[in-house]
Amino acid sequence: MTIAPSTSLFYDRASSTMRSLSAQADRLNQQITAQSNILAPSDDSVAWQRLQGLSQADANGAAYAANVTVAKTVLQQADGALGTIGDQLQQVKTLVVQARNGTLPASGKVAIANQLGDILSQIVSTANVADTRGGPLFGGNSGGQAVTQNADGSLSFTTGEGASIPIGDGQSVQPSSNAAGFLKTGTSDLGSAITAIMAALNAGTDIPAAAADTVQQVSDQVATAQASIGARAARVDIVSNQLTDAKADRSATRDQVDGFDYATAITQLQKTMTSLQATQASFSKLSSLSLFDYLR
Amino acid sequence: MADLLSIGASGVKTYQTALATVSENIANVGNGAYARRSTNVTELAPVQGVLSAAAAMTGYGSIATGINRASDMFKSAAVRDSGADLARTQAGTVWLNSIQSALTGSDLSTSLTNFFNAAQSVAADPASPTPRAAMLESATTVANAFTATGNALAQVTADMDASADQATASLTSLSAALAKVNDGLSRSAPNTAQAASLADQRDSLLDQMSAIVDVHVTLDAAGRATVTAGGSNGPTLVSGNDAASVTYVRNGSGAVSFAVQMGGNYSVLTPNGGALGGIADGAQRIADTRDQLNTLATNFVNGVNSVQAQGRDLNNNAGQPLFSVGAAPTDVSLTLADPSGIAAAAVGGGTRDNSNILALGTLRTSGGFETKVTTLVAANAAALQNRNAVAAAQSAIHDGAVSARDAVSGVDLDSEAVDLMRFQQAYSASSRVIQAARDTFQSILEIR
Repeated sequence: MTIAPSTSLFYDRASSTMRSLSAQADRLNQQITAQSNILAPSDDSVAWQRLQGLSQADANGAAYAANVTVAKTVLQQADGALGTIGDQLQQVKTLVVQARNGTLPASGKVAIANQLGDILSQIVSTANVADTRGGPLFGGNSGGQAVTQNADGSLSFTTGEGASIPIGDGQSVQPSSNAAGFLKTGTSDLGSAITAIMAALNAGTDIPAAAADTVQQVSDQVATAQASIGARAARVDIVSNQLTDAKADRSATRDQVDGFDYATAITQLQKTMTSLQATQASFSKLSSLSLFDYLR
Repeated sequence: MADLLSIGASGVKTYQTALATVSENIANVGNGAYARRSTNVTELAPVQGVLSAAAAMTGYGSIATGINRASDMFKSAAVRDSGADLARTQAGTVWLNSIQSALTGSDLSTSLTNFFNAAQSVAADPASPTPRAAMLESATTVANAFTATGNALAQVTADMDASADQATASLTSLSAALAKVNDGLSRSAPNTAQAASLADQRDSLLDQMSAIVDVHVTLDAAGRATVTAGGSNGPTLVSGNDAASVTYVRNGSGAVSFAVQMGGNYSVLTPNGGALGGIADGAQRIADTRDQLNTLATNFVNGVNSVQAQGRDLNNNAGQPLFSVGAAPTDVSLTLADPSGIAAAAVGGGTRDNSNILALGTLRTSGGFETKVTTLVAANAAALQNRNAVAAAQSAIHDGAVSARDAVSGVDLDSEAVDLMRFQQAYSASSRVIQAARDTFQSILEIR
């Protein structure tokens, strides 16, 4: 049974219908502007919570990505510096072989000794470079100079390791290592060894075998350290790719969870506008009808 | 022919009244509280026992015996009941919405995320002042977010108190007004315009009362309303000429209660509907939300400060508290001004050590602060979502009830136009009867 509405109910209904259609159109408009179906948590609490989780993961990902960039840069620097040190050690070894040549005159040995001294100070200064963060690249846990050459030619090192950089949940990478890790051997160090070789060359005596062994050992250690840095850099690259992939996945998931789609939203808006126009038209027609118009 | 004259005169008088009633209906077409009225027309029947042939044949015309007010007490009760249900849901929705805005307005969850991620940047470069300064900035944002969220929730509570006071005050004054209307109804004669107008006022007052609290109404023969609130066994608000006053109290734990005072007797009102019902629902949720936020703020501040205390800052001093708390647990403020004061290193770790600041990551996982904030918002949002759905259904029910009531009591201009024509014609015809009576009488006088 249809109930004939009273006059005031007719107006009330018309106004509430038009109001609700306008509100619907306004909401669709806001959704199109925000490119999201979820304008407030109460629109869909479950989806909102998932979207919050995704935003949080995005923020975490961005923080880790920044750390990855720092780690990558420092690792590259360490790799380059270790390569330089390795080349210089190669030179040291060549010079040692040359110096062992029995036909070399004393003046030649002194020249080699001088050259070795230069190379040692180059190695020390390479080991003392600062990383992009301003700290010593091969330093310890404090900001002190990584390698110090003592008066007797031996080297002293800082203690500890620089901090590992967090690059993912439960993942971190040590972007460099303490110079003691590759310039020092069990009992000796590169400084003492080269100084001993220089002393022997200057004195015209035989190069001590232990010192030559130390040079060889340090050279091996530098190669190992460089390989280790390279492996870490590879791991960081993998993590970096993972972060990028995860970000893309999250973006896809966000679209799914939100479910916003321009075509649907604009079609909906058009439908709402059409229905609002029709309501307005039928309201103005119906309200202009009155029996009183025919009373004369 | 005196009879014809008096019959005509009675018709003119009757239809004058009927036309006046129709005009009254038309004049009140925009008045929501007005119920359509109609005129009772009855025949003046011939008096029995009068032994006159003429008197036995005809009556004495018509008379307007009174005004009928078109109303249906059951339909009115349905409008009130559905209105109280709807008002409760809508009022509850208002408070849930306020909680939602308070919780999401200052973006607490995001600022917590940013704070913990800033700590990760410090971990990547513990010796550098820049990430440290950035971390202090994000710590300030977290402190402000806690404070702003706490204040916003306190404001919601204050707003709720104010609106509850207002609602109880208007319930009291509506009750007093209804008692006056009851008094008027007991003095007015039934089926008069005055009685109809008082009944209109009564129904309008009852509608307004049911928007505040669910009311149970019984009407006596004279149309006087006896009103109880919170169900038929609830405390009486209006009985005859007596009206109660209603008051609102919120206790320390945030629960609200309403008291009804009638003639020196106090009783507790448990609202099951109306705005008061919505306030009772909302109050509990606001109190719970504030409790949870307070706990969260306390845990966060204590957690971060204890991580600080375990570590060493850039100058190898024990870490000082990062945050301090004011009067309320959510009044968090930053106390550490110097970026080098962030204790990133463990004891004996050195300036480039980050093992202590990594403990913030552990705190983040174990404390689950961001998840807790999100869950708090989502739980409230789920309730709000549900209420919105319920409100849509209840509003459809209410609309239906209003339509059904209006079909009985509303004024339709087209029907009034028909009535106007009908009574106008009846009036003209009655005047014609008078003219006919005069003409007939005249023809008798003209006999010579």
